Amino acid sequence: MWRRRGTVLLFLSPWIVGFSVFFGYPLVMSAYLSFTSYDLLSSPRWIGLGNYRYLFREDPEIWTAVRNTLWLVAVLVPLQVLFAFGVATMLARAKQGAGFFRTVFYLPALVPPVAATLGFVYLLNPATGPVNTILDKLGIDGPLWFNDPTWSKPSLTLLGLWGIGNIMVIFLAAILDVPRHLTESAQLDGAGPLRRLRWVTLPTVSPVILFSVVIGVIAAMQYFTQAYVAAAVAAGQASQAGSVSTLELGYPEGSTMFYPILLYYNGFRFFQMGYASAMAMLMLGVAFALTLLILVNSRRWVHYQGAAR
Amino acid sequence: MRRRRFLLAVADHSLLIAAAALFLAPVVFILLTALMTNEQALSARLWPDPFQWSNFTEVFHQAPLWRWALNSFIYSSLATLGLLLSSIPVAYAFSRLRWRGRDAVFLVVLVTLMLPPQVTVVPLYVMWAKLDLVGSLWPLIIPNWFGDAFAIFLLRQFFLTIPEEYLDAARVDGCGELRILSTVVLRLAKPAIAAVALFSVLYTWNDFFLPLLYLSDNPDNWVASIGLSQFRSLHQVQWNLVMAATLLVMLPVIVLFFLAQKAFVEGVTLTGVKG
Amino acid sequence: MRRVTTAVVLFAAVGLALALAGVASSSKQSATAPTGGAKASATTLTIWVGWSARELKEFKKVVAEYDKKNSNVDVKVVGSIDDTKIVASLRAGQTADVISSFTSQNVGVFCKRGAWADLGPLLKQDKVDLNQFPASTRYYTEYKGYRCALPLLADVYGFYYNKKLFRAAGLTGPPKTLAQLATYAKKLTKKKADGSLDVVGYAPTFGFYQNTAGAYQPLVGAKYFDGSGKSALGKDANWSRLLRWQKGLIDYYGHGKLVKWQTGAGDEFSASHAFERGKLAMMMDGEWRVAFIAAEHPELEYGTAPMPVMGAGTYGAGYINGTIIGIPERGKNREEAWKLVKYLTTNDHALATFSNGIRNVPSTRTAARSKELKPDKNFAVFTKIFTHPKSGTIPITPLGAAHLDTFQSFLAKWQSGKASDLAGGLKEVDKQIDAKMKRAGGGGPP
Repeated sequence: MWRRRGTVLLFLSPWIVGFSVFFGYPLVMSAYLSFTSYDLLSSPRWIGLGNYRYLFREDPEIWTAVRNTLWLVAVLVPLQVLFAFGVATMLARAKQGAGFFRTVFYLPALVPPVAATLGFVYLLNPATGPVNTILDKLGIDGPLWFNDPTWSKPSLTLLGLWGIGNIMVIFLAAILDVPRHLTESAQLDGAGPLRRLRWVTLPTVSPVILFSVVIGVIAAMQYFTQAYVAAAVAAGQASQAGSVSTLELGYPEGSTMFYPILLYYNGFRFFQMGYASAMAMLMLGVAFALTLLILVNSRRWVHYQGAAR
Repeated sequence: MRRRRFLLAVADHSLLIAAAALFLAPVVFILLTALMTNEQALSARLWPDPFQWSNFTEVFHQAPLWRWALNSFIYSSLATLGLLLSSIPVAYAFSRLRWRGRDAVFLVVLVTLMLPPQVTVVPLYVMWAKLDLVGSLWPLIIPNWFGDAFAIFLLRQFFLTIPEEYLDAARVDGCGELRILSTVVLRLAKPAIAAVALFSVLYTWNDFFLPLLYLSDNPDNWVASIGLSQFRSLHQVQWNLVMAATLLVMLPVIVLFFLAQKAFVEGVTLTGVKG
Repeated sequence: MRRVTTAVVLFAAVGLALALAGVASSSKQSATAPTGGAKASATTLTIWVGWSARELKEFKKVVAEYDKKNSNVDVKVVGSIDDTKIVASLRAGQTADVISSFTSQNVGVFCKRGAWADLGPLLKQDKVDLNQFPASTRYYTEYKGYRCALPLLADVYGFYYNKKLFRAAGLTGPPKTLAQLATYAKKLTKKKADGSLDVVGYAPTFGFYQNTAGAYQPLVGAKYFDGSGKSALGKDANWSRLLRWQKGLIDYYGHGKLVKWQTGAGDEFSASHAFERGKLAMMMDGEWRVAFIAAEHPELEYGTAPMPVMGAGTYGAGYINGTIIGIPERGKNREEAWKLVKYLTTNDHALATFSNGIRNVPSTRTAARSKELKPDKNFAVFTKIFTHPKSGTIPITPLGAAHLDTFQSFLAKWQSGKASDLAGGLKEVDKQIDAKMKRAGGGGPP
């Protein structure tokens, strides 16, 4: 018994240390710092609920940030899942060149986000980018894309849709995994492709859909790189300033101010680390609640084959 | 019936072809821009004239691309090595060793997966600052040596599929758990391990947030992702060169993909379908 | 499978080897490591500056002279350092022995205890006369009595206009009021066949090139804070007058059309700058532009003048800020660092050489009168603006310029038409700035 326990502890030890040092400790510290004012130059100063009061009542940027992040959850994630599923369905039926097509759709997901964002911002430049140039030739007055507050998030969505390769491949495998006898018997019963999709494929694939939705929501809550780079580059393009002393958060007009970005600015540009910790605590609560919401709701539409959860 | 089927197939394929074209278009335009002169890149031109292939070498003159690649490589390789060494035993403990509270603790592991990194980032930064390691690659590498929740999850799922008979046979032969792990399990789990390694390399090569936090003020240690984002402001946005640099940064990952296609796709499906 | 495993193992092994060789040495501060080469036992000083490209070369020339005169130090210049890196370096990671920043507004952040060193005792010890620095430059290099920086050349903002385009439109001299400016702008604007903008007379969009609220403030005589230290953007009518003027001109172009033109306008510090290419007829810019034009587009026919004014503004005055230089508390080699700072900021020859090189205004009275300064008609306008009594800079706060970010966010909505209630909007901004000030633990400017 002792030998067994020793072995288990030994095997688990990296994770135990990792969990305490890189998860448990920071979590507790974050909670503590959220009640202080701390700029890293001097020691933390206890201010009780001061940060939370500012967060909920006075911060002009916070609710924009929350709304923008929720926009991602409500719009970007479903679109990504739908699009990935659609592409996977088409791929599943393809007979010739399936391997080639799969590569084409998967590859963009591997591209470093910074590179992809730079590419897209350049391509969608309102005055000189190829997209608007082509639209111009077709007689359409192209939108201002990353420089227009109503188009900036859709532009980021386009970027996000370009990179659905990972989810798409998972869907593809799941669709191909649907037991043939189910689809065949449905076909024999006279069900057309759409009905087969609705009553056979979708239910079988539902655990995978749940998985991608959860992953998507988690990613949407952490969404940082693309928005940060896109805003910086687009603002740089429109102002063309080398070292502007006033920065415009969430260019344009706060439309790309997502929660993780605001947290980063507060903590690592303005060095209000206590306030950033308070923001982090709020984020933790919301992340928890959202995931729980999805998982609880999933019982309604997810079917598991074989063993129950 | 046959005719309808055929028309449907063509319709399907044409949609696929259209979608594929849309997916390839950005890369094509980036490539075209990378071959333009600076003035052409700044104008509304679509086609370079002449094809300035020298841009790809010019990029190395303007920015320390090799240095960035080296730093990215160091980060990726060390992080992946540590991740594998630490996550495999942990995953084994969660799947093939029986102990009280195992499933409950595994749930805790899953919970850490849901956590956005921004929640823990402030105290961790303070900790690394106090240890005087900000500006180096260590704050990025070291956490990977203590287990990674995603790797543990993936490996555990795979280990669960190993038939107990193999392990029992080894146990009967008098092997300790460590021996079993390093001989029997490792050999059987090669596809999963390969997939985990690939994911780790991919994730660390593309990582931007952590390098932004810890490496910003030390250009010597910039990794490719940071370097690329700063390239534009250092050199007054020569877009043709920026696009060339973008392609070069994409290259290693694409090459890796083609070399290890099967493992990639297997790994991705492992996460989704078995999860 | 075997291929992948071998690849992974190789990958990891090479990485480990490289890391052990390289990472360990490059991770920590290398400020004190001797560079080897010409001076064997010399101390290496690292100085961080914001300049890049041509301007950085000029700075390095000045530093090279210092190097020659002082054989016991070897100065390593690192350019393109922006304020993000400077602020981060205050607390953790690498830092330099001497740091210079373009953003004088941030002196409130730099002068915190523990950030940049107190230069007071050093100035006293070496008997440096602070009066050689003009009052405005002294203002933006200290905060609440704590002097942590000295001025290193100043920046002055004025008016640039394209003489050729003026002639073509039948205009003679530069406009003196903002109302005139708007009229001229409309006359000078040219559109393309499809209705998009080709040549823009004047682009007043905040956030474009050097258009910031701070730069316009001296032109309308508006105040940022009232007597009790509270934000006065909504109370001072001059702000509203300025913003309505600006919105009127933007609406003439159409905000969307203007933004579209801006995205194709050319990077500010490159040779494709819109004004230098003749696509922008008039603009507000700093005095450094004179050097850029001389280097990149010497054929351009242009003139300079003080910016037009309105309301309580006085013609001839302008916005001032400047490069500031200080010694980070965490730096090493304090003594040598101070010697370098003293040289760069008070030595007339160094200041004159550098001023000629990058066309910035010399920051001491004696350097401003130095015979070494090369005369230039267009540049002379800026030295006049610099010495004008009504020229001023942004009030220093513990937030640095962060309170202006709040103003800028509102301005972005104002100029695009999303926020139409000017009075209400400004009042809201005042409230937010006051809250931010309170949170930062300091009220208003000194």
